[in-house]
Amino acid sequence: MSFLVRSRRGALVVFGLAAVTPLVVRDAYFLDSLVLILLWGALSAAWNVAGGYAGQVSIGHASFFGIGAYAAALMVTRFGRGPWLGMLVGVVLSIGAGFIIGFLSNRLKGPYFALSTIAFSQVLLIGVSRWRGFTAGGEGIPVPFRPGFATLGLGHVGWVYMALAAALLCYRVEVYLERSRIGYQLAGVREDEDAAEALGIPARRLKVFAVTLSAALTSVCGSLWAQYVGFVDPTYVFSVDLSVRFALNAIIGGMGTALGPYLGSILITLLETYLRATFSGVKTGFAGIYLIIYGTALILVVRFVPEGLAGIAARLRARRAHA
Amino acid sequence: MDPARLLGPAQIDVLAQLAVATILLGGIYALIAVGLTLIFGIMRVVNFAHGEFLMLGMYLAFWTFALYSVDPYVVVFVSIPVFFVVGLLSYVLVMRGVIHASHNVQIFTTVGLSVVLQNVALVAWSGDFRFVRPWHLSTVLRAGSTTFNLTQVVAFLIAVALTISLVAFMKWTHAGRVMRATAQDRDAATLMGIDTDRVYRLTFAIGIAAVGAAGVLVAPLYSVYPTAGLQFVLLSYVVVVLGGLGDMLGAMLGSLIVAAVEVAGSYLFGTAWKEIFYFILFILVLVFRPAGLFGQRGAETLGV
Repeated sequence: MSFLVRSRRGALVVFGLAAVTPLVVRDAYFLDSLVLILLWGALSAAWNVAGGYAGQVSIGHASFFGIGAYAAALMVTRFGRGPWLGMLVGVVLSIGAGFIIGFLSNRLKGPYFALSTIAFSQVLLIGVSRWRGFTAGGEGIPVPFRPGFATLGLGHVGWVYMALAAALLCYRVEVYLERSRIGYQLAGVREDEDAAEALGIPARRLKVFAVTLSAALTSVCGSLWAQYVGFVDPTYVFSVDLSVRFALNAIIGGMGTALGPYLGSILITLLETYLRATFSGVKTGFAGIYLIIYGTALILVVRFVPEGLAGIAARLRARRAHA
Repeated sequence: MDPARLLGPAQIDVLAQLAVATILLGGIYALIAVGLTLIFGIMRVVNFAHGEFLMLGMYLAFWTFALYSVDPYVVVFVSIPVFFVVGLLSYVLVMRGVIHASHNVQIFTTVGLSVVLQNVALVAWSGDFRFVRPWHLSTVLRAGSTTFNLTQVVAFLIAVALTISLVAFMKWTHAGRVMRATAQDRDAATLMGIDTDRVYRLTFAIGIAAVGAAGVLVAPLYSVYPTAGLQFVLLSYVVVVLGGLGDMLGAMLGSLIVAAVEVAGSYLFGTAWKEIFYFILFILVLVFRPAGLFGQRGAETLGV
């Protein structure tokens, strides 16, 4: 765990608190929020690997999330095997899908790339919804709860540590991208691809690598999510809203910073929990009101604080050091 | 299929019917896409919220029909000034600040706008599927061996008339020339004394007016719900990319191609799968012809 100490203290505080909390707090509602914060944070960190570090902004990452979720759910319900094997299959499939998306990223830039990723997730959405015989179509699949580690039937405390493990894995990958040779080369490709190529950096291969890595991590979290929530359905797991959510946490927290996605996740998940409590009386209103605020936040943040929460923190630190 | 059956009289009838369906659908898609291609060509902004303005147009048709029983094809003409103002407001409140920002900022600003509009509709009008059923929807017209309904034909005629007037506006009016000049070279246009901010404002308002009117036109033909815009926006991107971003005539041709793929796909494989075809077409076009079928001016600003 030396990467935690070597990097900023902020990460130590965030992950340390998450690790200690279940020892003190036993409230199921609170622990549920914590699991979701960690899982959404891990997913945004996975998005950040492609979107933030490699500059390949995708609005179709729900594809990989859905592949992971469906692989785990189908492995349990159709083949009677454990969700871990499903997670592995999901990762393999996502690596394949990541290669395709990565290949697209070599042909397409900016808005074109974002559009192609949306189209990709829509193709999966339609395919999974229509292939009723295998995927149960639009009805979705309830995932049975079987206690035990092998079947991922954990209690709340167990899930906090499982989500924390996923969060640390994604964070570790981000830190690697900040400190390794590959990470520096990716930053070069992101800032100026032509210049990077002129220096002999294999830009195309690196982009495919980053997108594929990001896809595999997203898929792992998708499998965990399916087992945690216990239900998968195509319109949610392949939705554009979900893809936007991955990006939103990372943008609000700070794109291309290791801790940013987790900060964004804390803010957005708490906001969601708070609004759910506030508007629980309103029947259809909750989801909508929450998403209106989240869309508005997205517009305001990209315009006024494009560097995100992590950027504000860095700016404050710099000012203090200066004074 | 048995080759002997391939070109019997029944098959020719089917082909004629498919061709008519393609043209009717293509005309409507063209109106949706010209607004998008106009905004892109002049402002260099890909508007991810385009479909949501279409959805608002559909709701306008639904409510005026449900509350006051006004025919959608009367509402169309009211919707143009209404959405012109909506476009102006969206430009001033949201788009103006990011017009010179990076692609990522523009993508997420319009994505954010799309999320907000969708959910305003969800909160205000719930997620129920709603239907607009004017009398002409059940009126069937026959020409030779082909049949189609009156609503489709009227929607097609209005869409084509609006699209042609927009193209004419761009070609022959002073404002249109100014807009095209800005599209060709932002900096040179500024040096010639063109107020580019005003041009962008007008462009966005016209683009939104076109798509809003298109929303009213398609309302009787599809169900109305908060995320109804998504399928149309993705489709209009296919159209716009096929025709070359910013090319209005290309967009009209692209609409016909997409309509043909959709009509042929649903005939051969069933309507359940029809959307998957234009998404696959979309990815293929993006990969193999990202600059459009006829090449494209302004492609270099997007690094394609």
